Amino acid sequence: MRRDVERNALRARNGIKLVAGVDRPGVGLTPKDVVWQRGRTQLWHYRSDKVRYSPPLLVVFSLVSRSYILDLIPGNSFIEQLLDAGFDVYMVDWGEPDARDAQNRLEDYVDDYIPAAVERVRDISGADEVNLFGYCFGGDLSLLYAAHHPDAPVRSLTVLATPVDFTKMGPMADVFRGGLEVDDVLDEDGNVPPRVVVQGFKTLTPTAEVTRYVTLWEKLWSDEYVSAYQAMTGWSDDHIPFPGAAARETVQMLVRDNGMVTDRLTVGGDPVHLSDIRLPFLTVRADRDHIVPPDATAPLIDLVGSEDKHELRLPAGHMGLVVGRTAAKTTVPEIIGFIRTRSDETAPGPAVGQEG
Amino acid sequence: MTSGTTPGTPQGPPLWRQAFDAAERRVTPHADSLVRTPGFATGVALLRRAQNLARDSARGVSARAWHLVNLPAGSDLARLRAQIGALDREVRRLTVQLENERRRPRAAADTTTPEEPDADGAQPASSPRPRAARRRAQRPPGA
Repeated sequence: MRRDVERNALRARNGIKLVAGVDRPGVGLTPKDVVWQRGRTQLWHYRSDKVRYSPPLLVVFSLVSRSYILDLIPGNSFIEQLLDAGFDVYMVDWGEPDARDAQNRLEDYVDDYIPAAVERVRDISGADEVNLFGYCFGGDLSLLYAAHHPDAPVRSLTVLATPVDFTKMGPMADVFRGGLEVDDVLDEDGNVPPRVVVQGFKTLTPTAEVTRYVTLWEKLWSDEYVSAYQAMTGWSDDHIPFPGAAARETVQMLVRDNGMVTDRLTVGGDPVHLSDIRLPFLTVRADRDHIVPPDATAPLIDLVGSEDKHELRLPAGHMGLVVGRTAAKTTVPEIIGFIRTRSDETAPGPAVGQEG
Repeated sequence: MTSGTTPGTPQGPPLWRQAFDAAERRVTPHADSLVRTPGFATGVALLRRAQNLARDSARGVSARAWHLVNLPAGSDLARLRAQIGALDREVRRLTVQLENERRRPRAAADTTTPEEPDADGAQPASSPRPRAARRRAQRPPGA
């Protein structure tokens, strides 16, 4: 009884904090510099004084969510672990698209921004190549880039929770095969608004929203849980607009034509084949991923043309691949191990392009 | 809401939570199946179109009212914003492509070569946007 009274008091305190939005954990705090910018897109270079591997690692993030999931909170950050492992880490962040980005097509990202970011990383680091890492839809962009530019200066490609079989993506893709047009969901800016993206993800697990609040009530007394809840659900509710033209192309080419699997991909009018990817390749998929179901990522390993290709399958959820204890113990060490063996060891020191 | 626990299992979840979990286990498969039916996809599409039809009708009436007094309506501004956005995109793409092109020949710049006499002429302004250079497919010899 006494424990219940204490917990209810803590629930009241934490509930007020949650509603008032105070004490929100800081996210994306790992120190970094913006080293290139065009439009809303930025290239970040994370500061490190213990770089031990070359070439640098370039992370390409998804187009529909915020990149701080990879750098959630200090002590629970994928980026932090990569830096600790000795990599020189860069990230392409697409920013928050607005009306000026409504006409952006996939080729803008695949043919312009990613190549520009790769060149900028090479300029800064002096390296001839980069290791490329794509997260979620950023993995799709990385695949298209690697396939469309087979002679790009890329040492290896790693993709995480990257869908290729869009017939297995569940209701979010089904509605676009069932008659819904992208133009039906565009906002006044010409982009797919974040609320539609969030609603699409919530439809994948219709009862999860209720369960989420029930679990929150049960554990509201725990400061640790509330802090993690704020960071994680803050991210899952915090999406960005999807540029309209890119969304149209995604729906037609990837969802309706299922182009990754049926080999009907085009970028800027050019046919693109995943079998042209001959880089050392790693795909990571999560068995309990409700956003990108494992069946949607499963065919990827057979679609790329690499001889040196590997698949890592983990008992985790979409966010659990990069956040939390499972990630720290399993996913991240495996990814680090893969990239490390495809990198050159150098004398430890600060990243090139950063002051002491 | 009570927070009682099952007798003999003081560390287990409270009774109300157990009840919720039992209900959730029964409801979730049905809800999951429902959102994966063709009917659900069709229903979402129809609902969305009905919403858009209502919105567009209201906007059409409003636009005609503004046009009657010779003022631009929201749809006119949206069209202008789209045009500016398209122009902004073209400028961004050209800037990025120019940056990339500037970097590419840097290594070869030491061996200066005169402009090829049969180089392509300037493209007219009305021609489609410059396309990204298509790179050769790197297939292994003999493939």
